[in-house]
Amino acid sequence: MGQATAAQVSEAVVSGSSVGKTFANGTVVALDDANFSIEKGSFISLVGPSGCGKSTLLRLIAGLIEPTSGALHLHGTRVDGPRQDVAMMFQRATLLEWRTAVENVLLPTEMRGKVTSADRDRAMELLKLVGLGDFAFSFPAQLSGGMQQRVALARLLQTGADVLLLDEPFGALDEFTRERLNIELLRIVGEIGATTIFVTHNISEAIFLADQVYVMTPRPGRIARVIDVPLARPRELSVQLSPEFNHLVEEARVTLGAL
Amino acid sequence: MADPFPEVRPNRLWGLSRLVPHLALFAAIIALWEVSVRAGLITSIMIPRPSAIGAAIVDLYFVTGTIWPHFFVTLTEAVVGFLIGAGIAIALAVGSSLSDPFKRYVTPYAIVLNVTPGIALTPIIIAWFGFGMGSKMALAAVISFFPIFVNTLTGLTQPDGEREELFRSLGASHVQIFWKLRVPSALPLMFAGLKIGLTTALIGAVVAEFAQATHGVGVLMNRFSFQLNMGASIATLLSMTLIGLILFYTMEFLDDRTVFWRREERRAAASRARARAWKRRTGK
Amino acid sequence: MAATAISRGMPRSGMSTGMRRILTHGGIFVALILAWEVGARTGFLDPLFFPKPSAILASFWRIYFVQGNIWYHLYVSLGLVFAGFAAGSILGIALGSLVGFNSLVRRFIKPYVIVLEATPRIAVAPLLIAALGFGAQSKIAIIMLVCFFAPFINTLSGVVNVNEEKLELFKSLGASKMQILRKLVLPEAVPVIMAGERLALTAALSGVLVAEFIQRDQGIGSLILVYTRNLNMASAFACIFTLTIVGFLIFKGMEILDRRIAFWNHEDGMARVGALRKGRWAKQAEA
Repeated sequence: MGQATAAQVSEAVVSGSSVGKTFANGTVVALDDANFSIEKGSFISLVGPSGCGKSTLLRLIAGLIEPTSGALHLHGTRVDGPRQDVAMMFQRATLLEWRTAVENVLLPTEMRGKVTSADRDRAMELLKLVGLGDFAFSFPAQLSGGMQQRVALARLLQTGADVLLLDEPFGALDEFTRERLNIELLRIVGEIGATTIFVTHNISEAIFLADQVYVMTPRPGRIARVIDVPLARPRELSVQLSPEFNHLVEEARVTLGAL
Repeated sequence: MADPFPEVRPNRLWGLSRLVPHLALFAAIIALWEVSVRAGLITSIMIPRPSAIGAAIVDLYFVTGTIWPHFFVTLTEAVVGFLIGAGIAIALAVGSSLSDPFKRYVTPYAIVLNVTPGIALTPIIIAWFGFGMGSKMALAAVISFFPIFVNTLTGLTQPDGEREELFRSLGASHVQIFWKLRVPSALPLMFAGLKIGLTTALIGAVVAEFAQATHGVGVLMNRFSFQLNMGASIATLLSMTLIGLILFYTMEFLDDRTVFWRREERRAAASRARARAWKRRTGK
Repeated sequence: MAATAISRGMPRSGMSTGMRRILTHGGIFVALILAWEVGARTGFLDPLFFPKPSAILASFWRIYFVQGNIWYHLYVSLGLVFAGFAAGSILGIALGSLVGFNSLVRRFIKPYVIVLEATPRIAVAPLLIAALGFGAQSKIAIIMLVCFFAPFINTLSGVVNVNEEKLELFKSLGASKMQILRKLVLPEAVPVIMAGERLALTAALSGVLVAEFIQRDQGIGSLILVYTRNLNMASAFACIFTLTIVGFLIFKGMEILDRRIAFWNHEDGMARVGALRKGRWAKQAEA
């Protein structure tokens, strides 16, 4: 994996050149010289242990923090703040407990201006898409953890952004719910053709979901390796038992020094 | 604050089967008390007979009706004083949460107000505001200020990094973040402060009445005590309890309705209400 | 956000932001005091509401050093406060624990507690004074009464709300009731009890003042009353500020006590006790 060529940059939906981020007056190097180029419609996983900079990279792309060096580009323009063509989903559902599910989904629209009936219809449709059509008027406290994250997913989609950033969104859930939601996620982003960047510390999950895995290492945080995942789509859970899959896991582990 | 009765939720004291043992116990206590006093086991100077208290209650409330004007005077003093204190406290707390310099200027004075026993100001406040209801309301306002201020400020400034990030990622303005995130999440703490403030406002009103007043249950308390009319004194005390309960349950009700998402029954009701409103608006 | 935070934090050459803030605050305070003084002297501000700061200072000097009358009254009032606080709060803790352990009593006591909570306890003052007569005994009774409630409720709550999982742990280790009480319930309840004590001490101070307002014999409450009656507002304010200092000392004292007793809630407390225990462990190993 090398520098993004000019041709790739123009095709790429998200790209970064020599992106670096330090905290605490330069004493903490969260991310060092990251170069990457992501094609439209692809699914990228960022995987690595704590401190490898994966969440930092995600927030840089989201425009929530500024790079100390280098630059990021989204749809050809430079990233210098939160924008409407990229949306982020967090590890905890961060729903507002005083709003019903559908009102939570409408939050992005409210931020941008008046809510029209078209927006409302869309919100309902999205809830149905994530399987919560019957729970539109439930409050977060009445929903399970998995359901809350599905509402958060619907809210993410409500933004209409075609670049989706997910920061370990299902990490707080049990493994079975997580697997189910991952499959749902793949189906949905495939349907709408979104470009997805997914952060996780679980190697198998990273490989299962992605077209490309950015393996990141800490101290300083950097993209150590990009592993292509040429497995067929739609992905079945059983692919995790295949030799190809395990070979990829091995590659990742070796890069991380965990083998 | 501490919750000493965690298992008894909600306050379903209204079920008949639940009520009976409590009533029985109460009746037993009253009976025992009455007998003890009549038999001379307890001196009736300090502790009057329940029947004397009962007689005083009937007299004050229904026969002469003496207590009613005083009852409403004290109630008004407490409520108005509370509203003034709460108004100022919330305004200052909101200002402090929005502006760091403002907070730094206000906080030292608020702390000074907190460590000074507000009751000490009673004679001064009476000198300033006179013998009428004004001084009682003023003392009530002064005493109720701090708990409301500190709770509202804590509620508005509690760290909520993840959700703030969410709002920022959606491009929300500061105003939007304030009204749609900070204010709703501050409500539970604010109401906790309001409850404390209301109770202390009542104390302020009563203490000011002790010092100097013509009307109010505090005045009656003073009068009856020094006439050594213990039955009437305790009847007056119970009137204060009644005022306290009215205030407390009114605030509980407001809390329940405003911060509706904390209680299961309210959530279900609110869900249904929202679903209906949605149908009306979208016609689906 | 982080970028702007960094650029905002650039210190100007010279003093640190902390020092500058103190000076700004101090400056504003001094300016207010000066404006107040000028306003009072020129008759712009009513001396009833705004006694001259210089007069207040003069009063301080007089009541503390020249006449020295405040010391006696402070001594009297605070003596009653601490006596009543000790008695009342200990009673509250004792009864709170007893009720806490007895689920039957707890079940029946709830309505009475609600009633007690809604009543302004300080309102019993005239009653107690009439029943027990003027003098220190009724004042202490009033203070005990107001000091009882918060420790009672908080101890009750602390004892009742023991963490379920920890309780299960102790039971699984075969702990006796006594062991559970000493090694789990009591330590867990300490922070809540401390909070109750803090409330009680503040209430005690208010209690003695109310008692003195009614009895008007001695103590700092009576002093304030007398000065106000004579429209000697400067001295009245001086007494109020004395109480502010007392209140502040109580506040700080309770904070220090809290840090020592509930050390596990504070960074420095844990460091201190950790080192202590390490030392003790080493000694035991040697023996």
